[in-house]
Amino acid sequence: MKPEQDIQLLGGLLDLPVIDRDHRYCGAVDDIELEGIGGNTRVKALIVGPGGYRGRLPRWAYAIVRQIAGNHVTHVPWEVIEEIGSAVILRVTADEFGLHRVENRARALLPKAGAL
Amino acid sequence: MNFLELTLGIMTAVGGFVDISELVFAAQAGSTYGYALIWVFAFATVGIMVFGEMSGRVAAIAKQPVFSLMRHRLGLPLGMVTLLASLISNLITCAAEVGGVAIILHLLTGWAYWIMAIAAILVLIATIWILPFKWIERSYGLLGLFMLVFAVALVKLNPPWGDIGRGFVPQIPPGLSAREMTNFAYFGVAIISAVLFPYEVYFYSSGGIEEDWGEKDLLTNRITCIVGFGLGSLLAIAILSNSALLFGPVLVGPQLPGTAALQPQLAFGRTGLLLALLGMLFAVGGAAVETCLANAYSICQFFGWEWGRHKKPWEAPRFTIAWIALFIIALGIVLSGIDVITLVEFAVLFSILVLPLTYLPMLLLASDKKYMQAHQNGIVANTLGWIYFVAILLAAIAAVPLFFLTSGGQG
Repeated sequence: MKPEQDIQLLGGLLDLPVIDRDHRYCGAVDDIELEGIGGNTRVKALIVGPGGYRGRLPRWAYAIVRQIAGNHVTHVPWEVIEEIGSAVILRVTADEFGLHRVENRARALLPKAGAL
Repeated sequence: MNFLELTLGIMTAVGGFVDISELVFAAQAGSTYGYALIWVFAFATVGIMVFGEMSGRVAAIAKQPVFSLMRHRLGLPLGMVTLLASLISNLITCAAEVGGVAIILHLLTGWAYWIMAIAAILVLIATIWILPFKWIERSYGLLGLFMLVFAVALVKLNPPWGDIGRGFVPQIPPGLSAREMTNFAYFGVAIISAVLFPYEVYFYSSGGIEEDWGEKDLLTNRITCIVGFGLGSLLAIAILSNSALLFGPVLVGPQLPGTAALQPQLAFGRTGLLLALLGMLFAVGGAAVETCLANAYSICQFFGWEWGRHKKPWEAPRFTIAWIALFIIALGIVLSGIDVITLVEFAVLFSILVLPLTYLPMLLLASDKKYMQAHQNGIVANTLGWIYFVAILLAAIAAVPLFFLTSGGQG
């Protein structure tokens, strides 16, 4: 499915994995940012990050998530979406929007040798 | 279809089928109830064939891991409940497997159990760090084929084949008291749980993506599930039958995992014992790897992180940190002093409670045309899937009362 096609927003997009141009996983669609009103409502951006759980989880559960993972979010503009299927494919790299910040920090902790 | 790959896949499935829980419950079931619980193994094995095939097909066609799709299908709150439940269940199972490996190493070397537990974790971590996915899966699975000594021992011991054959017919042994009947029911539930452990489908479907399965692999997937799991289950049934033949008449309760290794020893002497212990070591070690990776897969797939051991460990860093941390937590549980049998009992109890949450989404995903296109469940897969889902649900409802009524199968 191409992003310009009409889709059932909540059912079609929410919680899909997000994959960048280089086929790297870079989060999930945790929430959606809309703009406009009435019939002119359109998706402005996908929200990726634990802050997107706010309002989607019971308050106590979100408080726990926030303690563990923080509440940061990244806004991924609708214009950079290449395709929507069983995942959202971006036409940009994860690093262009900082979607691999935590992944990169974790990478720094690991030795880079010894694996076949 | 590549026949070498298919054969290796089947052999891997056979060698990797038996884990610590099946070992414990098959041996105990045989010594306590003779051949009367064989049909439960057979029934549960068809269940794992059905759901294993579905999970492999979802991976091959939807091209996305089951936990990603599950979150999308169930939504965030219910998806998170499923994630947490399966994490707890798989972690306890992983600890039981690590404890099992430590016991077997202790039997092989005579060194202290806790030292062997630490050594086991170090070797398991090194294995996953060094080897890519296919090598990890194949090496443990193929070395687990030493377990075939249990089947060969059964043939050598010349058992009453007619009684074993009749064990495949659903039955309840006559003349059981109410207490014994409750215990029999508990064993039935525990065997269903042990054969259908949630980690198996998470690992199997993630493995399909690790190996880049596609439409061309659907037949291989189906054959591997049916033949591989079927033959693997026969190994578990061989352990049960040996136990009925050797331990039941002399009232030996083979609770410790090591006791089962005596079966090949009685048939083949010291060589049989050694082969049995080696088979158990690699089969249970492989299950420890699968449970740990299944948890790391689930976490990363749920949150959309990089995952997989087809990548170098530093290319999927959060995945790597997750499986290392999970192994260390499992080691902590083992070193806390909880004995392996208690861990096995908790593993089967928690797993049966999680099973409906595991298999219902799988059934819904595999039936969903949006994900599966022309390869959605047909009438046979759907009918079997729903029959097994109801059976799993009933077993899950019965599990907790049975566990407490029988003190975890102690009668």
